[in-house]
Amino acid sequence: MTDAIAVPGRFYDGQSARAHRVVLSVRDGHACLEGEAQRCVPLAQVRVSERTARAPRKLTFADEACFEPDERAAMESLLHATGHRDGSVVRLQQSWRAVSIALAALVLVLATGYLYVLPAGAAWIARALPLSVERQLGQGVLDVLDRHAFRPTRLPAARRTALAQAFARLAPPRDGAPPYRLLFRQSRIGPNAFALPSGDIVLTDELVTLLEDDQAILATLAHELGHLHERHMTRRLIQGSVVTAVGTLVFGDATSLLAGLPALALDLRYSRDAEQEADDYAAAMLRQNGIGLAHLERLFAALQELEEKDGAPPPYLSSHPPSAERLARLRRQLD
Amino acid sequence: MSAVLEKITPSAAPPAVTEERFVFTASGSEYFRIWIVNLLLTIVTLGVYSAWAKVRTHQYFYSNIRLAGSSFEYHGNPLAILKGLLIGVALLGGYQLALHLSPVAGFAMMGVMAALLPWLLWKSLQFALHNSSFRGIRFGFRGSLGGAYLNYLVLPIASVFTLGLLYPFVHQRIKRFQHTESRYGDTFFSFDAKVGAFYKAYGHLIVLQIGGGIALGIAGAILGALLGWAGLGAKAGMIVPFILIYPYMLCVTWAFMAVIQNLIWNHTQLGPHRFVSTMTWQGLMKLYVTNTLGMIFTLGLYIPFAHVRMVKYRLECTTLLVAGSLDDVSAVKGGEVGALGDGVVDLAGIDLSL
Repeated sequence: MTDAIAVPGRFYDGQSARAHRVVLSVRDGHACLEGEAQRCVPLAQVRVSERTARAPRKLTFADEACFEPDERAAMESLLHATGHRDGSVVRLQQSWRAVSIALAALVLVLATGYLYVLPAGAAWIARALPLSVERQLGQGVLDVLDRHAFRPTRLPAARRTALAQAFARLAPPRDGAPPYRLLFRQSRIGPNAFALPSGDIVLTDELVTLLEDDQAILATLAHELGHLHERHMTRRLIQGSVVTAVGTLVFGDATSLLAGLPALALDLRYSRDAEQEADDYAAAMLRQNGIGLAHLERLFAALQELEEKDGAPPPYLSSHPPSAERLARLRRQLD
Repeated sequence: MSAVLEKITPSAAPPAVTEERFVFTASGSEYFRIWIVNLLLTIVTLGVYSAWAKVRTHQYFYSNIRLAGSSFEYHGNPLAILKGLLIGVALLGGYQLALHLSPVAGFAMMGVMAALLPWLLWKSLQFALHNSSFRGIRFGFRGSLGGAYLNYLVLPIASVFTLGLLYPFVHQRIKRFQHTESRYGDTFFSFDAKVGAFYKAYGHLIVLQIGGGIALGIAGAILGALLGWAGLGAKAGMIVPFILIYPYMLCVTWAFMAVIQNLIWNHTQLGPHRFVSTMTWQGLMKLYVTNTLGMIFTLGLYIPFAHVRMVKYRLECTTLLVAGSLDDVSAVKGGEVGALGDGVVDLAGIDLSL
């Protein structure tokens, strides 16, 4: 059967780029070339290039000499007659049905990974890592901020001590709260409070003035302690790196402008999740210490007012859920 | 015909020139299937399969490039690529971690990366060319490591210190380095584009950018003022200059890309054979606009189609004027090249394609 099929084509001997007119046939388990070049080698020593729609199927010999058929059809029937089978991945790629299933599986894997596996995995790793590792992150950030965004605080020392002591007296909602350091700064960027991986919780004079209510300030600090206790910095770092890596993998071929956007949008969701978790932590902490949630409400209300006054949300808030949403969420909990 | 001529004409006569176009036979729908399967396997194997995915993709693209009736072939070894990738991940991961740890460590690591980059690019060029073949003959790269450091580190730094005035010169030197040190078998490529031609291209770019920008800005401002005066709102008037300037700047960029691409390839030769490149800004515009819209409206599913169209356009703008025949090239046998640089260069998204 196989004797009958002869495939005309060009042979390149791997020494020069000159084409030799030959005819390929298969005899007794050997691939044989005849014409301007002669050779006969066992089929096992010949590599066949993978099947695609239009590229020629080449034979490559051990010494890099190769045979390129003139026509696809004759070559395909020869390969078929010799019982050559494509690899499983190649067969997968050839079938639209298999590819549709693969696409569905891909979407499923990506969605599950994004929604459940990555957040859970990152949380697990963050808890397994000793606190001292997280504390190594972001060193020098405070120095940079002090130089460019902050001035020394103008709050009276007595007021600062009173706030710090009041917060220190509150019991965290669960054991194992990490040590922290409370820092006061005057800000050039408006009312703000944030926690750094180093364990520093920074509170700006502007926020203290804005809130007036001391219990609301404690609620703010509880939110920031929540970030530290939940290990949000490490988790966000892991999540962000994985999202960027997968985003580059999927969209890597696209133009760079488009490539960055999906990853950024996906990462923002994690950011808002972390804020919600810290809000819940603050709510739990207030409840634990018998402080009314109305004080947390006041914080969100004050932030909302700020958002409305400034028109667009300030950069700090773009990574946060809108205050109105946070307020609504808190009210649902209160009911 | 040319074979007959060769036999009749004595060798002293100039060889007949045949025009050979590059033809790209890949299809978007086929690459889409390869792409989806590659992505799924890569993600399921936590990235390990990406080395095999890269080889499969390259083999697909190379084998669909035809020149003078023969197709190209990619020979990269997935295991070597995986090794390079792991080293790349370690290097770039270390760099990222250093950035997060402290600004000082980040800067130190940035310095280390900058110092390593020319070497990595050099290895990567060697790997890419060594693993490409046509008619059973491999390509190669002989450029020296010193040359790589000069062209990829020293000159770019010098260009920064001259506020970019040296940049066209640096661009010419980088291309000259790549194109004169590359070989197909024992036949070397050559490059004779002059530095002056690069300055002229960049000069036109800047004139078009600044001059056009100012002209459009003024026109837009007048138009905007008229609109505002006509009661259509001051805000609408302020947007007008931007609506005009953004597409204009994109067109200028495409025109520049076409000019540079043509300049480079019209001055590149393989032995006695000349390249001709006929890229146009209209062609690039059509390609980029439709590709971008396609990718946005399909949430990225169009990416493989866009990629195939891009490669097709670039290749099919190029012709090789074969003087005599391509038969006179002989192979140069050399050892394997490690994929070390390849991993980092891939991860960093640097495009070295010649």
